[in-house]
This record gives sequence, structure tokens and C-alpha cells, in this order.
Amino acid sequence: MASSKKVITREEWEKMLCSVKMRKEDMNKLVMNFLVTEGFVEVAEKFQLETGTEHIDLATITDRMAVKRAVQSGNVEDAIEKVNDLNPEILDTNPLLFFHLQQQRLIELIRNGKIKEALEFAQEELAPRGEENHCFLEELERTVALFAFEDVSNCPVSDLLDISQRLKTASEVNAAILTSQSHEKDPKLPHLMKILIWAQNHLDEMASYPRITDWSTTTLEDPSL
Amino acid sequence: MSEATSQSEIPAKDSIGDYFLDLWCHTSKTLALKPETGAESELYDDEEEEQPTALDTLNSSGGFSVVGPDKLSLLYPNVNLHRHDVGVVQANHSAPLKRMLYYFEIYVKNAGAKGQIAIGFTTSAFKVRRQPGWEANSCGYHGVDGFLYRGHGKGEAFGPTFTAGDTVGGGINYAMQEFFFTKNGVLVGSVYKEVKGPVFPTVAVHSQNEEVTVNFGQDPFVFDLKAYEAEQRAKQQVKIDNISIPPDASYGIVRSYLQHNGYEETLKLLDIAGQSTVPPISVAPENGVSEEEMYALSERKTIRQLIKSGKIDETFSTLGKWYPQIIEDGTSTICFLLHCQKFIELVRDGKLEEAVLYGRREFDKFKKSSAFDDLVKDCAALLAYDQPSKSSVGYLLGDSQKELVADAVNAIILSTNPNVKDPSLCKHSSLERIIRQVTVCFLEKMSLNGDQGEAFRLSRILKSSKKS
Repeated sequence: MASSKKVITREEWEKMLCSVKMRKEDMNKLVMNFLVTEGFVEVAEKFQLETGTEHIDLATITDRMAVKRAVQSGNVEDAIEKVNDLNPEILDTNPLLFFHLQQQRLIELIRNGKIKEALEFAQEELAPRGEENHCFLEELERTVALFAFEDVSNCPVSDLLDISQRLKTASEVNAAILTSQSHEKDPKLPHLMKILIWAQNHLDEMASYPRITDWSTTTLEDPSL
Repeated sequence: MSEATSQSEIPAKDSIGDYFLDLWCHTSKTLALKPETGAESELYDDEEEEQPTALDTLNSSGGFSVVGPDKLSLLYPNVNLHRHDVGVVQANHSAPLKRMLYYFEIYVKNAGAKGQIAIGFTTSAFKVRRQPGWEANSCGYHGVDGFLYRGHGKGEAFGPTFTAGDTVGGGINYAMQEFFFTKNGVLVGSVYKEVKGPVFPTVAVHSQNEEVTVNFGQDPFVFDLKAYEAEQRAKQQVKIDNISIPPDASYGIVRSYLQHNGYEETLKLLDIAGQSTVPPISVAPENGVSEEEMYALSERKTIRQLIKSGKIDETFSTLGKWYPQIIEDGTSTICFLLHCQKFIELVRDGKLEEAVLYGRREFDKFKKSSAFDDLVKDCAALLAYDQPSKSSVGYLLGDSQKELVADAVNAIILSTNPNVKDPSLCKHSSLERIIRQVTVCFLEKMSLNGDQGEAFRLSRILKSSKKS
């Protein structure tokens, strides 16, 4: 099998690389798409000025980022309000997302020691949802377990209080808003990078050629012979 | 060894200049042809491939079967006597290669005496008079037993039998290198495609009164090909999505792109933004922070802005102050690009006489290659039009022309960095290198697969913004 592999030298490969026709605008668009999807509003605005890359409705990013930041900083009630201002359908059509936001709200109440308020909230808002859906119930029970421990930071469900729980919820809301605006949830650049790995892996089966493996330099590595 | 010699033959400065000159030549040719629609299709050699449209009447099986006058139906009028008197007919053209899927269908009008109908694919070397699948390098799905024959002598159980009233389809999935077959709109199965090279859609009849009609896409298919393609693409998509890349690697590529091009202001804001995300993005070597690309960042920014605002005289004087070596040789490609831009700016400002004088003074010394000549002609053509921006050379007045010149100067400045080991790397940003590499990987894969499959298209990725 190995003997049937075609070997392509660096020189041949570079010649092919050079003959690829590219457009600067396309690269600018990829970068703009990254900045917009990741929510770097000011950066995207500046990039538009510096490169003249076509205008994108940046106002929608600002709103989206405000929601994301609200969740990240624990202001879940505020975030829910903002999402509904943006588009009430987002939460109406995503019961799981709505549940996770409510769950996050409960977690924040417990974190802040507002036990009475937290209990009321759990009974009035969360319990009915748990009855509707079995998955919700399990998660609810796990969350309510936080009530049972004196030292919540050192209990079996302490991961709920971790910052990563907030980030998880925040990125879930972010993705839902992007989808509602018919944007893709993920920027295209990482996708392109994945296609490169995929294409190289496929070509590996048939040929030996200079590969790109190091994202920090993106230089060619000589083919293994 | 060869690398070292080739580098000493062409100084890096010239190779960078020539690279951008090539880019310009390319724009010139494509945009001149299609000023409105842009260069999209020209970017990829995207000629429409020929497709099967009818049954081949010239080469059909020595009189055992009759192709109808519409060339889309096939009848076996005789009593079959022998295994070598199959009425087999290929399409008038091989299946197109440069796509993900190819597909055609037959409808069995009459199953005749024995129902020995087959659908499949064969090569141009196929011996007519035999069933597809009986011979090497062919593949056929047979109605009488539902078996699949792949040139191995013996058939294998594959799917249901088919007979009068059934619609049966045969397809090629180039991405998976598979043949697939359908019956009455339902996928029967698929099988690895051992045959390399072009194959012809093939139909066979082998008993009296058997009659089929063929649909090469002139009528809607019974099988939902669009849905199947979407499903196949989604499968491929999942595989790609499951590949993991380091979390901040794409951030690093963007950062490096901004550095490379000297977009300093955007870079500054990105760094601030990167620090305020939760969690902050680490600006570390593994995220594409390289000193080489920080080289002369604000100088490069200043010069880019000068070029983009059309201040070419100032560009020359600033370069003369900061990087005299770049414009030292007045006949270098980089000087040529800048002089052209100056000429263009004069036309833009309506100073046509001044432009003529400038052109006569500066362009004469560049008469050393045909590329220079062609581009000078493009520039000069601006003078011929009352509304040059609407002419075939109107692209010269666009932002992308300024950008091209600015990119060239930017790359040359990067190459003056004494720490740069390989100046030819200054031509491309990381992002550009990635796109080039992906494109070539796809092309090479296609070529090793007998030119089958799809080329990589950045435009497809860029356009897929709306979720369907």
C-alpha cells in the first residue's frame, strides 16, 4: 500500500499553491464574519473602516453581546428581559433554553444567599416546568440540592456555582439569538480550519506532501518519505 | 539545494512584486470580460461539463435491441438465444465528474418474457452484448434477482427485484466513491466504486418485449435526489464538525491577519476585546503572536492609509525616508505599481493632461515585460472613456486596486525585516496560506481520484450564511 502513495515534493506543491487564485475581499469577509459572530463590535467597526469590508448590521451584535454579558455577570433576569425585547419568539420556541436561564437564575439567587427568594422561585417557576419534562426535573433536582448543603462551594453539585456554568448558559443564549437572526452560530473561520484538517487527512491516504500542522506559523512541513 | 539556488536567482523583493503583478493581471483579464458580474466563475476553471442526454445509437448492441426515435427508450424485440446477445446501451456521454453526485433513472414499461433488465455503469471499453456487471470494470443492478454484479463473475444479494411499473435509479457518489441504486424513490443500497475513470450510465434488456425508458434528468426524478444530496453533505459536515481545533486558534489566525496587513487600529481593539472576554484569550505564541508580523506595524499602517487615500507622491517620499531600499531601483515592480496608481489617481481627479504627461515620463522605463505593457495599456485606456469608471477598465478606479498596491508595498516592507528567514513567506498571511493549502489539497485529491469530485470553493463557505 505504502508504495502506491504518490510523493509530492515541496517545490511541486508550492507551485500549485501559487497558482491558486484568491481574492483579498474574500479573506476580509472571513475576518469580518469572525469578528461579528464572536461579538467584537468595536473591532468589527474599525475593521470596516480600515478595509472597506462591506457593512454588516452591527446593532444586532451590540444587543446580542449585552445579553451574553448579562448572563456572564449573573444578571439573568435582565438577560431574559433583553432577549424578549429582541425577539420574544426566541424563548417561546426554546423551552430548554428558557429552563436553563431560569435554572441559572436560581443558582444566582442561592449564590447570593437569598434562600427565601430562591425557594419561592424554585416552587413557582421551576417546579411546574420540571413536571412538564422529565429531563428538566432531573436538572432541577440537582440544582435544588444546593439548598441542602451548608458549604455550597464544597458540595457534590458545586460545579453549578462554577463560572463555567454561567458561560455555558451564556453561549446557549448567544447561539439561539444568532439562529433567530439567521446568522450561523459559529464563525466560518474555524470551519475552514477544520476543512483543512479533514482534507489533509483524506489526502494523506493517497499522497505524501507538505502539510500545515502548526496553526501559529502555518508554514509547510516537509513530506515524510 | 534547488531551493537555495532558485532563491538566489530571483531576489525576494522581485518575487513579491511579481506576485502582486500577477494578481493584477488576473483581475485585468477577468473583470474586463465581465465588468458587472465579477470574477467569481473565472476564479475557478468552472466550465460546464457535458452530461448524458440520450442513449447512444451509434454504438448500441449489434441489433439485439432497438433504441426508440426519442433516444430515451429501449426495446428487446427478439427471442433471446444466448448469454452474448444482451441488448445493452450506454448513454451518449459519460457521467459528469466534477460534482458530488450523478444520478439517472429508468422506468420499466414492459418486463417482457423474463424480466432480465439491468441498470448500471460501464466504461468506454465495455463489451456491448453483455450485462453491466458481468464484465470487469462495470457494475449493474439486475431486476430478475435483485442482485448486484460488480465484474467479479458472481452476483451478490443486494436489493429487491424490479419489474414492469418500477422506476429504478443508478447513481454515483463521488465524495464517498460509491455507486448507489434506488427503486421507486427509495434508496436500495450503495457499494464501493472500484471502477476509476469516466463511466457511462448503462441500461440492458435481454428478453422478448422488454422495454424501458430512460430519464437523464429531462423529467423530474422519482427519487428525491436533492434530499439525498443534503443528507450526504450533512454526513460529511458532521465529520468535519467533529474535528477539534485549539479553542483560540482562529482568534490567532485573525490576529495574525491584522498584523500581516498592518491593520493596526483593528488589531489594537481586538487585543483589548480579547482581554475583556470571559475567559480572556491568551495572547501567547500558540495563538499566532509572532514578532515577525509585528514588524513595522505602524509604519505599514501609515503607508497603507496613504495609498488608500490616493496620496501616492507622499507614499513615495515616506518610503524614501523610511525604507529607501524599496524604491531605490526605479524600475522595480513595486515602483511600477505605485506609478500606475499615481496615474489612476490623476485620472480619478480628472487631471487628464497631467496624467498623460506623468505616464509619458514614468512608464517608458518599464518596457521590459509583456505584463508591464498590458497593464500600462489598461491604465492608458482610462483616458479613452468619458466615464472611465463604467468602462471595461473601470476596475482600476475601484478600492480593490488600491488595496492590491497597498498589499504589495506592505509585503515588501515586511520582507525588509532583517529577522525574516524566508522573505517569500511575506507574500501571504496565515489565513491566505490556509486557504491555498485547502484548495490544493482538494485539487490533488480530485486528480488522484481520476478528476472526480468537487473542488474547494471559498465562496460556498462565505455564502452559506442563511440556515436553510
